[in-house]
Order: sequence, then structure tokens, then C-alpha cells
Amino acid sequence: MDYKYIEQLLERYWACETSLQEEQILRTFFQQEEVPAHLIAYKYIFDVQQEQAKGTLGEDFDAKMMELISEQGEVLPSEGVESRMVKALPLGGAGKGTVWRLRLRPFYQAAGLVALILTIGMAAQRSFDEEVQPQHTQYAQTDTVECPADEFVTMPQQQEAALTSEKVDSISLTR
Amino acid sequence: MLPLKNRLYRLALRITLNPAEAEDAVQDTLIRVWEHREEWEQIDSIEAYAHTICRNIALDMAGKAGRGNVQLNEEIRVKNSQFSIEEKFDQKERLSLVRKIMDTLPEVQRSIMELRDIEGKTYQEIGNILKLTESQVKVYLHRARTSIRQRAEEIEKYGL
Repeated sequence: MDYKYIEQLLERYWACETSLQEEQILRTFFQQEEVPAHLIAYKYIFDVQQEQAKGTLGEDFDAKMMELISEQGEVLPSEGVESRMVKALPLGGAGKGTVWRLRLRPFYQAAGLVALILTIGMAAQRSFDEEVQPQHTQYAQTDTVECPADEFVTMPQQQEAALTSEKVDSISLTR
Repeated sequence: MLPLKNRLYRLALRITLNPAEAEDAVQDTLIRVWEHREEWEQIDSIEAYAHTICRNIALDMAGKAGRGNVQLNEEIRVKNSQFSIEEKFDQKERLSLVRKIMDTLPEVQRSIMELRDIEGKTYQEIGNILKLTESQVKVYLHRARTSIRQRAEEIEKYGL
């Protein structure tokens, strides 16, 4: 095999005149096991280069990296919130009172909501009661109508009884 | 972002010569690039941008670690003298020797060799990353290749 081309390439390689493609040819050439004796010295150089090209970082590095980056992502917004909070307090103005009012706002809202539900509930119940009450009054009216009827029915009997007793008395008196 | 990690890691490794430090450098780089994500649209090449940041971080680390290169040089001299006693040494030792030679090159040459010979970048891309002109990149690369060639030939000839 003729190694002139390779030797030529090598000379130009030392002189830094080779293109990237030509350097790739040299690299592939020196990757083979059998290299002519006069070129063996240079094989080691290329072998070391090949070896150095294998230096890589593993998956665990990726995981660590993602963790570090996500940590940063969390830190930045929370800092923003804190600074916003710090600004919000002086803007609130008149000291502790307003701060307390702000803090109690949820409770006010809850109390308002409860009051609203109660009023709606009571109103609903009242309207429900109103639907039921007229029936009672009707019954009550009929009761009052019936009651006098009974009285009228019973009254004459009582009166008759009274009359008969009076009659008996008068009869007995006359006797 | 994450697909860049291996390239950045190899560049950082060439500079720091320490896997753990290189990993930290890549981590810091990615975080810094992520923090500037609002500016991504204004940046021509995020890859080049990330490489530049990574290189600076790795250089900082290497600088803090200090005297790494000097120590390596001494180490190699010791190793070389040991090897010179032995007539032959096997392939693995040769490989590690070439590796050491590469590691003892000045950082700029190492970084350029990494970007060119391993990542296959054009001179223009390398120039963008290292803030150098194309011809400067070529000069550095030429020095790097020449010295490696010389050392490789010496090893072959004398077993040094």
C-alpha cells in the first residue's frame, strides 16, 4: 500500500494547512490497528485524541443540572413576591390598623357570605310559610263557622233543657 | 444547553486536567449561560459564548489550584528517566506519555488542539471562542503540533 498520500497529509497537518475533512481522513487512517512502522509514532497522538474525545458527563450530571436550574427558577419569583410585599406595606399607609384590616379581609368576606346565605334562607322560609299559612286560616275559618253551628245545634237543646227545667220548676211551684 | 455539556467538559478537562474540577466548571458555565438566557437572542453563537465562559471559569480554577503544570513537568521528567532505563515499553505507557506531553503544553495550545482536533472546529470558530485572530490560532496550533510531533519522534527514536 502506498502511504504517500497519508505522509503528504501529515506534513500539511503539522503545518496546519489541512482542512477539517483532511484531518478527519488522517484520524480514520490512524484508527486502524495496523499502521506502518515509520508512522507508528504519530498513531499515539491520534489515539490520545480519540481517547480524549470520549470524555463525557453522565446522566447524573443532567439531573443535578436540572435541579440547580429549577432551584434558581423557584428562587427568583419568590424574591419578587417578597419585594412586592415589602413595597405593599408602606403603600398601605396608616400603619398597623390598615395591615390588620387587610389581614382580616377574608374573615369579613366569610362573615358577609354567611349573612347573605342566612337572609336568603330566611326569606325563602318566610315565603314557604306564607304558602302554608292561608290553608290554616281557611281551616280556622271553617272551624269558626262550624263551631257556631254546633252551638246553635246544642244551644236549643240546652235552652230546651233549661226551659223544661223551668217548666218543671214552674209546674212544681204552681203545684 | 445540555448537549453542549460534553464539549464544554472536554475543554475544561484540557485546561484544568482534573475531571472533578472540569465538571464543576461545566456546571458553573451552564448556570451562568442559563442566567443570561434573556440575552441569547443577541448572541451570535451560544456555543462559542458558552465555550468562552467555560474556558474562563476553568482558567480561574486552574489558576487557583496553582502550579499544576509545573508539577506535571517534573513528574514527566521523573517518568522519562525511568523509561530511559527500560529498552521498550508497551503501548499503554506510550499512550499515557503522549497524553502527558499534551497536558504539558501551554493552556492556549491545549485548548486550541482540543477545539480543532477533537471538536473539529474551524479556525474562525476557535478564534471567536478564544478571542484571537485566525492567524494567531494557526500559530498556536502549529506550535502545539510541532512540539508534539517532535516529542513523539523522540520517544520513537530513543525510547525517551
